[in-house]
Amino acid sequence: MKKFFSGKRDSESRKLILYLILPIFLMFVVLLQTINLTVINGKKYETQSENNRIVSRKIYPTRGLIYDTGNKLLVENIPSSQLNLVPERSTDTLKKIKEIADVLNLEESFLLDTFERQIKKPRYPFQPITLAKSLNDEQIALFSVSSEKFKGFSVETGLVRSVVNKKSLAHVLGYMGYSEINDVNKSSNFISGNQVGISGIEKTYHDLLSGKEGTRIEEKDVSGKFVRVLSENNAESGKDLKLSIDLELQNFLIPFFEGQKGALVALEPKSGLIKALISSPAYDPNIFNSSSSLAEIQSIFSDDEGPLFNRATMGNYPPASTIKPILGLAALDEGIVDWNTIIQDDGEFYVEGDPRPYKGWKEDGHGKVDLEKAIVESSDVYFYSTAYDLTIKKLEPFLKKFGFGSKTNIDAEESNGLVPNEKWKLGYIGEFWFKGDSINLGIGQGYMLSTPIQISQAIAVIANRGEIIKPRLVEEIDELPTELKSLGKINLKDETNWEKIEKSMIEVIDSSNGTANNIKDTRYVIAGKTGTAQIKSYEDQEYEDIRENPFFRDHALFVGYAPIPDPELLILVVIENGESGSRVAAPIAKAGFDYYLNKNE
Amino acid sequence: MSRNPLEFSLSSKMIKPNRWLNQDWLVLFLIISLVSFGLMMIYSASGSAEMVLRQGIFAVIGLVFMIYLSFSDYQRLLPIYLNVFWIGIFFLLVVLVIPSDAATRRWIDLGIFGFQPSELMRCVLTISAAAFLSRNPRIVFRDWMIVIGVSLFSFYLVFIQPDFGTAIMVLISGILPVLISGFPVSYQIIGMITILLSTPFIWMNLLEYQKQRVLTFFDPSSDPLGTGWNIIQSQIAVGSGGYFGKGFLQGTQSQLNFVPESHTDFIFAVVAEEFGLFGVMGLFLIYLLLAFRLVMIAKNSNFLFVKLVAGTFIFLLLTYVAFNTAMVVGILPVVGMPLPFLSQGGTALIINMIMIGIILSFRRTA
Repeated sequence: MKKFFSGKRDSESRKLILYLILPIFLMFVVLLQTINLTVINGKKYETQSENNRIVSRKIYPTRGLIYDTGNKLLVENIPSSQLNLVPERSTDTLKKIKEIADVLNLEESFLLDTFERQIKKPRYPFQPITLAKSLNDEQIALFSVSSEKFKGFSVETGLVRSVVNKKSLAHVLGYMGYSEINDVNKSSNFISGNQVGISGIEKTYHDLLSGKEGTRIEEKDVSGKFVRVLSENNAESGKDLKLSIDLELQNFLIPFFEGQKGALVALEPKSGLIKALISSPAYDPNIFNSSSSLAEIQSIFSDDEGPLFNRATMGNYPPASTIKPILGLAALDEGIVDWNTIIQDDGEFYVEGDPRPYKGWKEDGHGKVDLEKAIVESSDVYFYSTAYDLTIKKLEPFLKKFGFGSKTNIDAEESNGLVPNEKWKLGYIGEFWFKGDSINLGIGQGYMLSTPIQISQAIAVIANRGEIIKPRLVEEIDELPTELKSLGKINLKDETNWEKIEKSMIEVIDSSNGTANNIKDTRYVIAGKTGTAQIKSYEDQEYEDIRENPFFRDHALFVGYAPIPDPELLILVVIENGESGSRVAAPIAKAGFDYYLNKNE
Repeated sequence: MSRNPLEFSLSSKMIKPNRWLNQDWLVLFLIISLVSFGLMMIYSASGSAEMVLRQGIFAVIGLVFMIYLSFSDYQRLLPIYLNVFWIGIFFLLVVLVIPSDAATRRWIDLGIFGFQPSELMRCVLTISAAAFLSRNPRIVFRDWMIVIGVSLFSFYLVFIQPDFGTAIMVLISGILPVLISGFPVSYQIIGMITILLSTPFIWMNLLEYQKQRVLTFFDPSSDPLGTGWNIIQSQIAVGSGGYFGKGFLQGTQSQLNFVPESHTDFIFAVVAEEFGLFGVMGLFLIYLLLAFRLVMIAKNSNFLFVKLVAGTFIFLLLTYVAFNTAMVVGILPVVGMPLPFLSQGGTALIINMIMIGIILSFRRTA
């Protein structure tokens, strides 16, 4: 046998080596490809490998808390279970949303609406969208049972904004919501997918409250599972705000507005700090912050009474007679009248060559009227006459000096109000300025509009003897006091006129003829002025007929400050369709003074 | 019967003084190095000490076989070698008939480990083919045709498992002895044409996933999360390794499981990622050095059987290395082919070590 397997056969070795060239050649090609991958394209693959494993996560800061002046917590962050969706991970999303709404017993329309609004907004890839907040235990349990069916959906705990006192500070604090795309550029702290302040302090101070995003660089494995933290850049929590609002005063005054539309501003004239700010009717901001019911939210939006509207800073009202002290100062400063000038008030005022009467509120008139009496008894004829003499050329700049017609720069959303002039009238109404327009301006009517905060600021100028102080709601930011800011000083030719006009305003309450004599108090002295703003002209109709419709009844106004000589608080009250400044508005202010001044003793 | 080890070594040295000296220690050293390196890589790829331990046990079993066989007398074993392919055929049939839930029937579950008959087949087919072709001084044409027939049959049995990669290797392990032993060139050309003509037939018989692999190979980005994933991720792993690699256990692609099958077919990606271009060159040098030593054994022998077995094994070894690495770096479609001595898998490791043992035994009679 051995023999058969022996024998020299060199050709086999040669053939073998020939065949081996094939795999060796292939190995050489592999080596070339390896060089191609590592050396020539190494950088690219290195980057891809890093991108594979590294994920940069945003760390969301906690939003700053908000306190009142007595350090009572007004807004906090509370944990809430929310339904999140990562659209990139889900398929057939709309159908799944409908299904999950069914399973969790949530409003389908709410989820779809939220999703459709959110999906249009800029987002980081794989950033979750919050579809519903404040899930209850039952919903969480239902979700975990069927979570397998809903790829991309998850229930996570997040923080939601919660207003402690529900309605009482709704307009001051505002509410949170998902911002519109336009807001993205405005706010450096826009966190996509997270909520932003839509109104009130939440909006004005959004940047400070929201803090600074942090980032955490994490390593993940192929399934996206967290492996370890590579580096971390901590988030900076939002700053806490201390408002100047006195929650006790606020809550004391709110019941006076029960069932009424109106606004109240209470501020410290010297500092401009707002102590109470009421707009009625109000709403519960928590419905926006955490509710998952579309119907609930829509009911607020569709309410005819406009609960979202902050009347105290955005409501445009005619200032009516509350403007008279300022017009008095204007007339004095321009030399139209002095304190001894007497005007005969028989209830009507006529312009030469015009048979149309300008009626005063008191049919028989006030008789012989000087400036003090004109303010105390609120003579319309006196101010028709002075306004007529002043003309719009002098009226307009003087009113503007007191801040009418422009924003007060309070840290809330506000309207401009309106001080009309010839140019404005021609542009907007398309008519020339009539003398009668100036006359109407004399009693704060006509085209003039002002916000409650503007009137408050203007009257505070009298209390401050010409100093214009910017009103503000925030007293401290992270325990650092905010600055008192003077917006300028109004100089009168005769500086004693400040005190003299204030004296007239004291007599409004103290004099038995004063329009607000009903709130006279022997313990402290109040300076103030009532106002009754017509909202419907009654030239052609009898006033009594107009009164039949409550929506056409006059607005009742009162503005005053106390105690003299060192005023601590200025209060302005507007009651829409309240008819009488003295009967309806003044007693509310009085109650506020009583409460605040006694409390501070 | 127990013997004092010292007495044994002394006596064996006395009886056959050339037995130890005549051993190719370099080959043994290279094999042990490769296997140890493989265990390191498996650990890096899987992070599982248990897997390393299992593979380690297979390595020890393989080592025992290898060393035992390297001291055996192959000529006395020739009658056995002539018939071992029957064992291979038997197991290939067994794996096809035993019921299984899996879509592929490649394994016989032996409880502690899965035995892969196709791996055994490529070893026994070569040995039997070589023994068959060298049993007479002259090879008649019929001998070649018998070997080709058996090879095609074996190929078919593996192909229908289905395991295309190993089936090709089984076919080569039977055909190569035919080619090396002097199969006429004209017939070789006819064979080539036959293979080319049968390509459409093979393509039609490929399973959907196999076709997909081939198609994806030509455009991995067409399906980056599906079939293309393997190719893209292993290329990233290799590419990001750079010149010197990210270091042992530092390969993020492998450690974070971005490279699939990183402890088996894609272990080369781990090597490249953690040891870089120079690691790859070092590994290739070891394989080439091993092949060179084995070629020397074949060349120095006068026996056809030796040349055929050694030659086929060397060719298969380098083909495995070339195909496997080519697949990892993305120049060939993904087919299931392990990297010899490195990839996790007991049967292949033991079979390869047995082959080395048999080839080493040829030295003694060279």
